[in-house]
Amino acid sequence: MSTPVSTRPDARNSIVLDVTGMTCASCAARIEKKLGKVDGVSASVNYATNKVLVLAPPGLPVEDLIKTVEAAGYGASVPVPDAPPPPDPAEQLRRRVTISAALAVPVILLGMIPALHFTGWQWVSLVLATPVVAWAGWPFHRSAWVNLRHGATTMDTLVSLGTIAAYLQSVYALVVGSRGGMGVEVYFEASVAIVTFILLGRYFEARARRSAGSALEALLNEGAKQATLLRDGVELLVPADVVKVGDLVVVRPGEKVAADGVVVEGSSAIDASLITGESVPVDVAPGSAVVGGTVNTTGRLLVQATRVGADTQLAQMARLVEQAQTGKAAVQRLADRVSGIFVPVVIGIAVLTGIGWAVGGAGANVAITTAVAVLIIACPCALGLATPTALLVGSGRGAELGILISGPEILESTRLVDTIVLDKTGTLTTGVMSVAEVVPLPGTDPATLRDVAAAAESGSEHPIGRAIAEQGSPLVSTNFAAVPGRGVTALVGDRSVQAGSAALLRDHGIDIPDALAEAAAAESGIGRSVVLVAWGGEARGLVSVSDTAKPTAAKAIAAYRALGLRPVLLSGDSAAAAQHLADQLGITDVVADVSPAEKVAKIRELQDAGATVAMVGDGVNDAAALAQADLGIAMGSGTDAAIAASDLTLMGSDPVHAADAIRLSRVTLGRIKGNLFWAFAYNVAAIPIAAAGLLNPMIASAAMAFSSVFVVSNSLRLRRFQPLP
Amino acid sequence: MQSTYTVTGMTCGHCVAHVTEEVQAVPGVTDVQVALEGGHMVITSEAPVDFAAVKEAVSEAGEYEVVPA
Repeated sequence: MSTPVSTRPDARNSIVLDVTGMTCASCAARIEKKLGKVDGVSASVNYATNKVLVLAPPGLPVEDLIKTVEAAGYGASVPVPDAPPPPDPAEQLRRRVTISAALAVPVILLGMIPALHFTGWQWVSLVLATPVVAWAGWPFHRSAWVNLRHGATTMDTLVSLGTIAAYLQSVYALVVGSRGGMGVEVYFEASVAIVTFILLGRYFEARARRSAGSALEALLNEGAKQATLLRDGVELLVPADVVKVGDLVVVRPGEKVAADGVVVEGSSAIDASLITGESVPVDVAPGSAVVGGTVNTTGRLLVQATRVGADTQLAQMARLVEQAQTGKAAVQRLADRVSGIFVPVVIGIAVLTGIGWAVGGAGANVAITTAVAVLIIACPCALGLATPTALLVGSGRGAELGILISGPEILESTRLVDTIVLDKTGTLTTGVMSVAEVVPLPGTDPATLRDVAAAAESGSEHPIGRAIAEQGSPLVSTNFAAVPGRGVTALVGDRSVQAGSAALLRDHGIDIPDALAEAAAAESGIGRSVVLVAWGGEARGLVSVSDTAKPTAAKAIAAYRALGLRPVLLSGDSAAAAQHLADQLGITDVVADVSPAEKVAKIRELQDAGATVAMVGDGVNDAAALAQADLGIAMGSGTDAAIAASDLTLMGSDPVHAADAIRLSRVTLGRIKGNLFWAFAYNVAAIPIAAAGLLNPMIASAAMAFSSVFVVSNSLRLRRFQPLP
Repeated sequence: MQSTYTVTGMTCGHCVAHVTEEVQAVPGVTDVQVALEGGHMVITSEAPVDFAAVKEAVSEAGEYEVVPA
């Protein structure tokens, strides 16, 4: 991945190497020194990121550089672009399911169809069932054992217990029964069916899980990948992680700032909306601080890096996300919760059954057989399908409707969401600047004011100027000039126009009437950016620009309310801008001007007060809050970091879909609960039969079949879920 | 004969190794012992070693300073 790009043909190549073995800053100094001794080579080592940037004459083999570093006592290598992807859990499960099913199908057919009962069929079943119970069911046995050591019982305990009981009972019956020469009742099909069905369920679930990716990685990817370093008057394009504190970095319009730093040359407007949520671009000039990851919009900037790598604001946000994610407890699986109570009860019933029969005078053989029969029937096959089929169908239907669920088990979260926290910029608003108001002074026609302003700004590259120019104008402007940080001047027809700040007008000796100053104050008071317009040496009015609410925002808020949710606006933007939007949409709870860390704190505060919180957001600054919320919902039009940190992603940018997502999760949860009830009901009904010593393989199979069919069809009904009109 | 010096600026085992390696290469030096703690360096040689050569070697090793103890 050496990046031999330079702006001068005779310049040296820049090569980046990974260095290992550095333990302190003097190691870095030594490597620089050693590399510097090679002819024509200069090197700079970034101790924090373990990278060295080498400027070497063309034709010098990279191996020589690596040898030099190794001679100094360290390891060096050419960076590997990407780590190989981890093995897909769904793929591993698929293998286990396929083999398990191939072995189980003959066993189930033999067990259920008496016509197939050839002599010794039970022995064939034994041979086929053994690897299914022992190998395919191994994950359940292992997990059951681990849980047992913690004194806990989960669904895996039930599965492990049921399959082993059915298997051992059958082996025992086969060995003893064939010795006695009588008919033998075996439950091999029950044990293999349970293992196969439950593995199948796990496979469905793994399939439904979208590779969420790491929020951390996505966040760091929001940063610039490459940086243009200015070194000895030469511009060098290098990977962003070799930038060191003190380096001069060139940032052209449209590029991301590579590190936190201070502007030393040039002026421009910086779009920080992804990072901070601020909707209005910030004007910067020499001395202004800039944050890595923000986008330079208009002019070329020379930035001196002040914080790199793990010290940047972006990296701090990444840590915040990480903390929020690790602090979030995994959703406790409903099936496990039910099993936690069900398993001890079943074991109790089995023990009582055994004791009852023994006390009643039956032999030990009968007592044990009956007790085991209780364990066999208690493990519902359909249990394995109850949750996964509902999640699969629910998330599949969601995907059709543009609701992508990254971890389907979030739909199982039993705590009903009652509060919905909303980000402003990009979530409820379009995130794009457009003209909000045209306010002429008396004597000026509003249409003329708008047309003149649009024509004057037509040459502008500033985001606010462009928003005004986008309106279009029948007029033509000439002699355009931009005054950095102030505005523009141009000749529109025969009018000499000034459009920009009050300072620009004053520079041209133009008075600002009180009426105009008041109107400007009113507009900026609600978070809008104001452009004053003057021509012919006289102020004529103002045009204000702001980020506007999405057309469906009000409908979305009403939909949330209809679901019993309390909407809360949580914005990194100014209090004025947030309050204005909240008033427009009828939101009463507003928290504005908050940092990403304060967003997380606010969500935690709501949670501590007993609320179950859904958060809807799209920016990098929302990522940690999305991870902290009970249900994180990201806008698909948003940043990768927000998507990776969230549980649900809404395709497109319509906030109404968040209401659909919450409705879908509620319906799915209801369906899962119904499934679990019916999965257990058939088997629970059969427990008295087993305890009475009347269980036979036909009853076990019937309970299995009925509950499975019911559960699957119940889940399929989720396909009928309809979005809000 | 042995001569003792104090090296400053060393922060870890690597530094010790660097200094040892460079000073070892000074002509006439038969053995070098460097301790991280306190920065003591003991040079064993047949004949007295020129301090300038030692100073040169230490600064070659990295950003360290050496003074006779």
